[in-house]
This record gives sequence, structure tokens and C-alpha cells, in this order.
Amino acid sequence: MIVLENVTKTYYPDSTGLEGVSLKIESGEFVSIVGQSGAGKTTLAKILMAEEQPSEGRVEIGGWDITRIRPREIPELRRQIGVIFQDYKLLPKKTVYENVSFALEVAGAKSKHIHDVVPQVLRIVGLEEKANRFPRQLSGGEQQRVVIARSLVHRPKVLLADEPTGNLDTLNTQDIMDLLVKINAFGTTVVLVTHNREVVNALRRRVITLKDGKVASDHAHGKYTLTV
Amino acid sequence: MTMAWRIFAASWKHFARNLWIGLATVVVFTMALLSVNVLLGANAIAERVVALLEERIDVTVTFNPGTPEGVLNQARFYIASLDQTERAELVSAEQALEEFKKRNANNPKILEALTELSGNPLGAQLIIKAKHPDDYPFLLDVVRGPQYSSFVRTSSYDDHKTAIAQIQQIGSQVRLFASGLVVVFILFGLLAAFNAIRVAIYTQREEIAIMRLVGASSSFIRMPFVLEGVWIALLASMLTFGFVVIGIEILDPRLTFLFDGMDTGLKSFFEMNALSLILIQAGGLSALSAAVSWIAVGRYIKR
Repeated sequence: MIVLENVTKTYYPDSTGLEGVSLKIESGEFVSIVGQSGAGKTTLAKILMAEEQPSEGRVEIGGWDITRIRPREIPELRRQIGVIFQDYKLLPKKTVYENVSFALEVAGAKSKHIHDVVPQVLRIVGLEEKANRFPRQLSGGEQQRVVIARSLVHRPKVLLADEPTGNLDTLNTQDIMDLLVKINAFGTTVVLVTHNREVVNALRRRVITLKDGKVASDHAHGKYTLTV
Repeated sequence: MTMAWRIFAASWKHFARNLWIGLATVVVFTMALLSVNVLLGANAIAERVVALLEERIDVTVTFNPGTPEGVLNQARFYIASLDQTERAELVSAEQALEEFKKRNANNPKILEALTELSGNPLGAQLIIKAKHPDDYPFLLDVVRGPQYSSFVRTSSYDDHKTAIAQIQQIGSQVRLFASGLVVVFILFGLLAAFNAIRVAIYTQREEIAIMRLVGASSSFIRMPFVLEGVWIALLASMLTFGFVVIGIEILDPRLTFLFDGMDTGLKSFFEMNALSLILIQAGGLSALSAAVSWIAVGRYIKR
């Protein structure tokens, strides 16, 4: 499903984000990518969502080689993978409903489809009552649930979560993780980029550890083994 | 069709939800347009002043007493037929004498001296009004040519030569200066509008990046901003139009006394050019706003 072959990302002039990373993530997997700051987690996430291009190597998602993806093809890729960010990245001048429906509007979905799907996903994340609120009127956990709802409207095969619980308290973190597990149970591949030890250990799923831009370990039922 | 409607609706929704940024941009646009229009108005008044001064210039050719009427009529007819002539008016020796008497009605010594003369000491006069002050030397050359030189006693051109030249010079300088100033104000206006749009879009750069991240195409992100820029330009144009109309209604009657009750040139200029002014200003500003929006948004659409 997701294939990285010998991927290296070098930043000008001599900083290395990733170095010779090769990995394969199967369809339906729940994979945590962990590592300390500067290990290359965010670089990997950015390459997967085509925010950056690898300097070397090859990246493939769902059989689509995105290594040298053209700018005009990027929107299409982003409609196929759901992305969750630590800082939510919600549109502040749009309501909860509009933030979610925007992801469908940009894809040219019909209005009837939008009216059907958006309430459904808002119900899944428990925000149907707050559809008309603006992001600033929501808590951090609620904002993150809007982001999850937004990423689900396209029924993506891959959900990429970049530090989704980084700004949340323990209770909200648990809620969000439960949602991600639920989404994974429906068959969506979830790639979780995090440095939250408790979250990773509680999952008991595959853990890929990055260190200095390289894959340090890859365990099918791993734990967070890094020490600060 | 759905996408077009969404882009259209998004542009209005975006304007409404970023009302203060939008209104600030409208104010800058309006100020820019107003400054250009104020200058156009001032230019129209200046043109009118120069035209009035030029209108008041004429030259009087005085013929010798006793010049045959045939010669006088021929001279008038010939001068009037020239392209350079606005009009040529013949004043007979008798009319000239009557005018002279009227002018000097309060001067008994002059009137007394007139009675002592046996006949009419004044000759007929040809009053020539040229289409343009530059044409006077040519017209005078014609009158002083061999055909009429023996009949011509004097011409007032030499007396007025300096004044005519000065008015000509002032006129051309006013026109040149005003045109230059209008161009400069248009450039400043465009620059102000350009920066207002850039700043407005800069404040929304994060939103633009987020739109991209959730899969919006470049055109889907750009078009609402481009349309919003057009709405802002049109709104500013309407406001400017309103201010200009009110300004003219207030100013024009108050300036009339400076022109002896005649047209000040202000209202007539805007009335005559209303359609083209509106189309050029609204169209130009909308096009600029749309183009700048397109470019400015592009800066924040990264990968």
C-alpha cells in the first residue's frame, strides 16, 4: 500500500531529514512512527502528503508513484489520503460544517452528496450538535475531531496523523486515539506520527522507530523504546 | 456549474467574514480613485480657464478711412473662409465711430475734437477670432499681404502679442502639468490598490495553505480571492462615483461666480465623459485587483 524505497531527504546546505529509509506499510495496518525531535518523523509525513519531494529514492502510495508528483496532481493525492495535524489547520472563518464540506467541495462533489456525508461524519466524531460553530468556539479535542471528520469525508484508504494528540490533554488524547482505532477497524490504513510514549504503548501495534533520519527499528507489536 | 457557483458564493462569504480587511481595501481603492477624479476635475477647470482666456483673444484690423466697401467685404469673406478662422466680423466706419462716441461719452474734450473734424476719422474694422492662438500670426500675415496692405492702417495684434504668447504658454504648461499629475496620481492609485490587495491576501496566507493541504486545486483557491478583488474594486468605484456626483453638485454652483456665471467646465466634463470614466476606472481597477489577487494568492499556494 505505502512503499518507501531508499528515501533520502537533504535540506540545503548539508542537513539530512531522512537517509536511505525503506519500508512497506500494508493496507489496513495501524503503524506508529516514533522518534525524538529531528529524527525525521515530520519529514516522512511531509513526503507522504507530497508537501516535500525526496532528494533520492522512490515513494509509492496505493500503486501511485508520487516521488516526482507534479504540482497539479497534488490536490488529487490529498483527496485520497486523509491528513490530521497537531495544530489542526482548520479554516478559522468557516464553521465546523463548512470546514468539513470544504474538503468535498474542492473535489467537485455534488451538493446532495455533501448534505448526506457531512452530517454522517460529524455524527461519527460526535460533533453534529456543533456544526454551526467556528473553530475558535471549540476546545482543542473538538477541533481535532473536526479535522478527523474532514479527513474522513473522502473515505480515504490512508489516514496520516502527524502528532494528532500533541496539543491535547490525556482525556482528549484517549478520545482521539479511540477514534483512530475505530477508523482503522473499518479498513483504513492509519499512519500515526508521534512521540507520545503512552499512546504508542497502549496501541500495541506496529512501531517504526526513526533515529537520525534512519529506521532504527521496526516491530510488529512494538513499544516506545526511546529514552529522552 | 456547481464549482462556479461555489466559487461565486465563497467570494461573497469570504468578503463578509473578512469584512474589516475588505472594507479597509475598499477605502484604499476609493481614496486612490477619488484622488484621480479630483485631479481630473481640477484639470477640467484649468482647461476651462485657459479656454476662456483663449476665447477672449481676438485681433482688430483697422482699415484706412475711405477703404472701398468691396475691399472690406472681400477681406472679411476671404479671412472667414480660412480654416484657421473661427469668425470674422466687419465693423463699418460708422459703427466704429458710434462705438468710439459711446466709449468716450464722459469725455467732452474728445467729443468736441470729433465735431471739429470734417468727416469720420475712423476706418472700418475687421475683428478676427482665430480657432487657436497660434493662428493669429498667419491670419495677420494674410491681412497684411500685398492684396490688402495698402488699405490696412493698424492691427491690434502687435499690442496683444505678448499677452497672447503668455496665455498660450500658460495654457500649454497647465495642460502638460495637469496631464503629468493625472498620470502620477493614477500610478500612485494603482500602487496603493496593488499593495492593499497584497496585504489583504498576506493576512490570509495560512488559510490559503490550509486549503491546499485539504486538496483544493490552485484555481479553486484563487478564484474566490480574484472575484472578491473584483467586488472590492466595483464597490470602491460605486462609492467614488457617489462621492464625485455629490462633490460636483456642491462645488460647481459655488465656482460659477468665478466664471461670470458661465460653465465652470467641471460638471460638463464629468457629464460628457461619465460613461467612459466609469468604465475605464471600474474596469481598470477590477482588472488590476483580479490580476494582483491571482498573483498574490499564488505566492502562498505551495506544494
